[in-house]
Amino acid sequence: MSKLLAWRGWLVFAVLAALPLLPWMSKYYMLLAFDALLFGAVAMSLDLLIGYTGLVSFGHAAFFGLGAYATAVLLERGVLSLWLCLGLAAVVVGLYALAVSYFATSRRGIYFALLTLIFAEVVYTVFRYTQTFGGSDGIQGLPPPEALPGVALDTPARLYYLVVAYLLLAYLACRVIVRSHFGRVLVAIRENEDRARFLGYNVQRYKMGVCLISAILTGLAGALYPGRAAYATPDLLHWSVSGEFLIMVMIGGLGTLVGPILGGAFFTILQEKVSSYVQWYNIVVGLVLVLIVLFVPRGLLGLRQALRGRAGREAA
Amino acid sequence: MTRSGAVLEVEGVAKNFGALAALAGVSLTVRAGEVFSVIGPNGAGKSTLFNVISGLHAPSAGRIAFNGEDITGIGPEVINRRGLAKTFQITNIFPGISVYDNVRVAAQSRVPVSGRLSSLWRLPNVEGPVMELLGAFGLTARRDDLAQNLSHGEQRYLEICLALATEPALLLLDEPTAGMTPGETKEATALIRRIAQSRRLTVLLIEHDMSVVMGISDRIAVLHFGQKIAEGSPDAIRSDPQVIDAYLGGAED
Repeated sequence: MSKLLAWRGWLVFAVLAALPLLPWMSKYYMLLAFDALLFGAVAMSLDLLIGYTGLVSFGHAAFFGLGAYATAVLLERGVLSLWLCLGLAAVVVGLYALAVSYFATSRRGIYFALLTLIFAEVVYTVFRYTQTFGGSDGIQGLPPPEALPGVALDTPARLYYLVVAYLLLAYLACRVIVRSHFGRVLVAIRENEDRARFLGYNVQRYKMGVCLISAILTGLAGALYPGRAAYATPDLLHWSVSGEFLIMVMIGGLGTLVGPILGGAFFTILQEKVSSYVQWYNIVVGLVLVLIVLFVPRGLLGLRQALRGRAGREAA
Repeated sequence: MTRSGAVLEVEGVAKNFGALAALAGVSLTVRAGEVFSVIGPNGAGKSTLFNVISGLHAPSAGRIAFNGEDITGIGPEVINRRGLAKTFQITNIFPGISVYDNVRVAAQSRVPVSGRLSSLWRLPNVEGPVMELLGAFGLTARRDDLAQNLSHGEQRYLEICLALATEPALLLLDEPTAGMTPGETKEATALIRRIAQSRRLTVLLIEHDMSVVMGISDRIAVLHFGQKIAEGSPDAIRSDPQVIDAYLGGAED
């Protein structure tokens, strides 16, 4: 196995870790950075499915939201350990993902997308319209989780470092996976799933495996969310959230891992900044996204190559 | 399994698509080390026979045994792991990745790590067998090119490389020279024969190009409207009146 991360990668994480030291990093910006990196991590997890395996999941909000509710349920009952929250989220999301992926991977193409969407909508409906988990209000006013007994994650800086650590570990895991035997088979499935079967690969098993990994990574990200927001609401499970995850992957650059992290961060910051100025922010956000898809179809990560290619053509 | 033993036994296999009987009671036996060809006009059921043998379709009736084990109706991924690999009449490769990565993903299907949890972080080294195959088919210089950028003839060779990389005992070739020029066809035929011998492969071949079949086959079976109408040596087939009538006569496409 080659080096875990190139020096440029470590540099990026060093810069991220140094960010809170900047004088103008107010609480507001720290939490915005938290959201940007958290959703970047989610988009990266989704990229394992879309970019590497060619499976378009339209139900990732369910994984994220279930992870958030797992944490919320424990915090509400006074179980404050972050590790128990993450553990419960992984188990709940993992079991749900196994069921969804078993049915969804038995169908292809648009049917996979539709089945993930339908399952997610069932989850949304259960949480939104039954009172078991607080109905439309969700679970509110949660205390912060504790990394260790007595060490509460109650400051923006602590939360921020938590999400940086999570992003680093999740990124390393994804990087190792896409370069492994398993990752190569995923790409073969994306390229030609019938031929992969005739080479002896049990395609459905690989698809379920990658769904499980992607879902658990997304669920763990979701489990970190109530620590920052102090709530879990059904809005987190809504299909439009799944749509936003897809957009993040698309504008970042499919099949690159780093691209979707950028895409998630970019989308989150863009939406937040524009919405703080105008009511009709979605029009602006939508316009920017359309321009990206039209002019940089390979995503933000492809921007550099696109510019370099243009410069090369002009020089020639 | 003895040298002269049966590798593949097809017994009374039938396949119906709705009211259409694509195959009706076809039986044949392929012996170890031979090149066995199935010929017949378009629509005779040749590809359907291959699809049934390789596990894409379950037969409507009949039984298929590979190395003495029943493989009727089990999936292509299981059949491949037993040692039966198939190439496709319409090139069926991984277009968007390099030639090397194409063959690698095929070769790594046979490493012990495959299918285990450790495959999530390990990447077994299969460079040796991959480069050997690329060399045998003259694709070494193309190793880093995307498979979709290969010429038609090169893609046909890559198609065979993929199947061979899974180290089969029995290779099913579905019109390997489809779309090749006569010159390429001649070259490809000689190459297939040579590789089959050096790897001690048993080959089951579908062709409608008679020049390919006659030069390469030990035995030939003729399909016509889903039924086997003749079987024998190339010479016997060439002079069989029923075959001449059905196939060599006027029905050829």
